[in-house]
Amino acid sequence: MSAAARTPQRVFIANRGEIAVRLIEACDRLGFETVLGVSAADRDTLGARRAGRTVVLGGPRPSDSYLNMDAVLQAAVSTGCTAIHPGYGFLSENPEFARKCAEEDLVFVGPSPEALESLGDKLTARRLAESVDVPVSAGGTAESIEEVRALAERIGYPVLVKAAYGGGGRGMKLVESAGDLEDAWHLASSEAASSFGNGLVFLERFVTDAKHVEVQILGDRHGHRIHLGERECSVQYRYQKVVEEAPCVALPEATRELLHRSALRIAEALDYVGLGTVEFLYDVARDELAFLEVNPRLQVEHPVTEAVTGVDLVRQQLLAALGSPLEITQEDVSLTGHAVECRITAQDPARGLAPSPGRVTRWSPPPAGGGRLDSHIYEGYLFPPYYDALMGKQIVWAPDRAAAIERMGQVLDAFVIEGVTTSLPLLQRILAHPGYRDNSVTTHWLNHSLEELVADLVEDRESDSSTERMSA
Amino acid sequence: MNFDLEELAAIIEQLDQTEFTDFRFEHGDLRLHVRRGGYDAGPGAFAPAAPAAGAGIAAAPAPAAAPATPALAAAPAPAPATAPAPADSTAGAGLDPAALPEGHMVVKAPMLGTFYGAPKPGAAPFVQVGDAVGPETTLCIIEVMKLMNSVSAGVTGEVAAVFLHDGELAEFDQPLFAVKVTA
Repeated sequence: MSAAARTPQRVFIANRGEIAVRLIEACDRLGFETVLGVSAADRDTLGARRAGRTVVLGGPRPSDSYLNMDAVLQAAVSTGCTAIHPGYGFLSENPEFARKCAEEDLVFVGPSPEALESLGDKLTARRLAESVDVPVSAGGTAESIEEVRALAERIGYPVLVKAAYGGGGRGMKLVESAGDLEDAWHLASSEAASSFGNGLVFLERFVTDAKHVEVQILGDRHGHRIHLGERECSVQYRYQKVVEEAPCVALPEATRELLHRSALRIAEALDYVGLGTVEFLYDVARDELAFLEVNPRLQVEHPVTEAVTGVDLVRQQLLAALGSPLEITQEDVSLTGHAVECRITAQDPARGLAPSPGRVTRWSPPPAGGGRLDSHIYEGYLFPPYYDALMGKQIVWAPDRAAAIERMGQVLDAFVIEGVTTSLPLLQRILAHPGYRDNSVTTHWLNHSLEELVADLVEDRESDSSTERMSA
Repeated sequence: MNFDLEELAAIIEQLDQTEFTDFRFEHGDLRLHVRRGGYDAGPGAFAPAAPAAGAGIAAAPAPAAAPATPALAAAPAPAPATAPAPADSTAGAGLDPAALPEGHMVVKAPMLGTFYGAPKPGAAPFVQVGDAVGPETTLCIIEVMKLMNSVSAGVTGEVAAVFLHDGELAEFDQPLFAVKVTA
């Protein structure tokens, strides 16, 4: 073994899909052994082939397998693992799980349960940001409906009612005028109570035209905290990111410095250990930043940061969790060029991005210089209906943004997938759109533009089916 | 003396690499008897040193010493360096859970957890090869983070094989027992 002087480690991978493959690879490079927990539907995945050992946790439904804390913990203990990497989603932000790992002497590769707890509640996170002078958008919470109404007036309409324990756009209500406020407030609160087990809601100014920017932070157990620059993820459909890039070229230098400084202040306030992302909205017209939330985990879009910094984030995350000091200092971090990531999903752009699972009969990514493909798909793979739709992430790097977009366009044009309807045609159209090319898009752009972008696809589909009807 | 499963596993691993047909070991009140060959004839063909065990190996320690007789019984039977699957390497009566004879069915693990063939360490096993079972008969316990879940046969029949050792990890859906269905 080449684990050198390091203590032997065996890492339990508590995730699936492309990220499981990515985590296994990072462990392989560190000389760590891996055990992958899979659901009964995931026995034939690429991760299962690559892991040192694979154990079946439970049935296909996430609640029976990937979200089943006891099964995951038992599997990790029984296979002699020393650490658990939760990836993203599933158990990655669950303070109870982090605590249970500690009880079993397993290193949870993520921040402390206390940090997870204070970040799981957006209202607490907001207050934390305010307390260290990080800009937040106007907002807050109140008890009586009179106070709520007064608060909304102070903020100014339109306002968002948000669930403190919500996420991914769920438990959110947009209120355009005072007349709708009371109903929205109560509705959001009861929805939040049933979805997230806590009905706490708050108000925030609704920024109509903002870019989504986020800062990658990294900390160790020795008081070192650094940032690795920012990413822009404004191309979203219903709060799901579709295209991401690094850096965000729309930021003036002074604002970028404020952004990085703010992220580090939050990291310091939390004594943050491991990888995290501090998300902000950037109002381009006003040149204003507003803190959104902290994602205390590895993110889907981490490769764009890796592409421009040359830092293996998963390696640093694992080492930090295991107690090693960071291998890099802030001075070592320098950004080169521009990277773009496209999420290729099993979703049909012509039907409002409805999931389209099935057998992948052809999977032919182009060999591309400057490209990276993170994926768990292979030809013949049966894409299951139980989990998220992500098939892979195509990343390209080039010296500047225009060149990176150009390169991505070429790569997507040459990418062939058959058997499953994918988001490829949508990605191609986004990349070719003048609004994306001149970087003027904001977070609501794709919500409004999806139909127009894929209108020709819908027409093709309709003429196909009418031809079928005629010939039938 | 206190006999632990790890030591037994180590002994069997050593034995597996040597040529032998019959191995007896006595130390204090522990008697260990391992035989090789003949398991193809089925469970009934064995005449193990200890009556408690059904297949090619018998460990007969003092009554309260060793847990898990069925697992011990199962251990070396197919003596095969060539059988990589855990189920194969422990198949009590040389049965392959993936290719059972007609009239047999597999009882699978309903959840991931630690397999225990007896209600507590040292106790008699719930069932052994040859035992008659009914749908409600408890065959084993699966422990998941200190929660005990009992697994019942689900059918009426006769236990034909035990595929796991005591204390081993049972994965979800993994074959635990073969039962020859009689009704």
